[in-house]
Amino acid sequence: MFSFRRFDRSTFLLLGLLIISFLLATFDVRAEGAGIGTTMREGAQTLFSPLQRAVSAATRPVVGFIDGISNIAGLRDENERLRAQVAELEAKVRDIAATEARLAELEKLNDLEVPGDLPAVSARIASPGSSDFDQIRWIEKGTNDGISVGDAVIDENGLVGRIDLAFEDSARVRLLTDPRFGVGVRDTSTNETGIVEGQTTELSLKMFQAEDPVAAGDLLVTSGSRFPQGIPVGLVIETASSEAGFALITRVEPLVEMSQLDFVKVIVGWSPLDAGALDEVPAEGFPGGPGFIP
Amino acid sequence: MNRRAVGLAIALVVTTVVIQTSAFGAGRIQPFGSSPALVLLVVIGCARYLDAEPALLVGFTAGLLLDLLGGSALGLWAMSYTVVVHLTWRARDRADDGPLVVATGVFLLTVLGQSLFAVAATLFGQRILSNPVVVRHMLLPAVYNVILASVVLPVVTRLIGDRRRRGWTP
Repeated sequence: MFSFRRFDRSTFLLLGLLIISFLLATFDVRAEGAGIGTTMREGAQTLFSPLQRAVSAATRPVVGFIDGISNIAGLRDENERLRAQVAELEAKVRDIAATEARLAELEKLNDLEVPGDLPAVSARIASPGSSDFDQIRWIEKGTNDGISVGDAVIDENGLVGRIDLAFEDSARVRLLTDPRFGVGVRDTSTNETGIVEGQTTELSLKMFQAEDPVAAGDLLVTSGSRFPQGIPVGLVIETASSEAGFALITRVEPLVEMSQLDFVKVIVGWSPLDAGALDEVPAEGFPGGPGFIP
Repeated sequence: MNRRAVGLAIALVVTTVVIQTSAFGAGRIQPFGSSPALVLLVVIGCARYLDAEPALLVGFTAGLLLDLLGGSALGLWAMSYTVVVHLTWRARDRADDGPLVVATGVFLLTVLGQSLFAVAATLFGQRILSNPVVVRHMLLPAVYNVILASVVLPVVTRLIGDRRRRGWTP
């Protein structure tokens, strides 16, 4: 016969804590960045971020040293890989003039300019999250600096992610590689549009109405649906074409090295509604993007 | 178990959470692409000495702090750490405190903690199990924790351990 006497107090506490955990997770997922979970996160950030900054500053010199030691084993392979890459790049240099002319033509045809004079806030990474599974970064600036939820985050190579939580002095960046991240992109070679989604270490490209195939090495940039258009996102890894009735799906390598982020820029004050209103184009374009002049 | 030990355990966990979230991880100390699960190690250390109820609360609090400062849904690390604490507490009197037993225990409990989180997070839509390096993120932290246990567990023992159970105290 079942009896509650068989359970001691600690078992009841265990069950209670597991139920609370389950309910917290359920409500947090359903709230999607709002509700009590966000309030609790804001409180935790307020308490912990000054301590995290102090520890980060203190341990920064040690990080490079340990990183170097852990990479010694991989240096030989890296050397071989770089030699092969140099040979490949030398071959590509020969085609650069033709490619540049083609790109300029495509830009003109496809109106691939990026909106100019957009205010951006530079911020340092405060914390990489709480575990290796996290696809986020906390930055040291927040709503006091004009950052708001949904803003695009970039670095010198291209799109890093978007702000998914913003507090007064800190904000959380959801990385491009997070499986819950998606962004509209345009292939600069074919002008076909599609959606890029995070796959943890790389990205996946889906095109639903593509007539032309995508080729390995094609540059993908934001299409302007959610973020300013023309921000470099990634390079296609595998050539693919769509078959009748099926979407084109292929792999994409992000241009940003997520494990080496230190400083990022947050594009503030841009809304998808502004996309049509912005006529000014920076002469140099976005770094790494089409038309970029270093 | 006195309140001083519980207070020290909470202070230790909070300190470790600050270190874990600012010194370890991507762009920080992350040898071979993974970092130690230092908070889990401290929680296991605390569970070896605290009574069952305080130990469960300390584990739950540690996990919840990681949830708040990380990118996952709230409660997932809390759930995982609570289960690990429960198992640690249940097992602690059934095995001796020899280094080999403790090292094996730390390894298995760390793998369990990381795995429980990965499964729970996947069930809540985070698709962690589809990550091609998920096994590395489960095993390497466990290896690091075994190495760090020889330093961390004696500190935990010295701070909150009682005289009957000294374990790895130098």
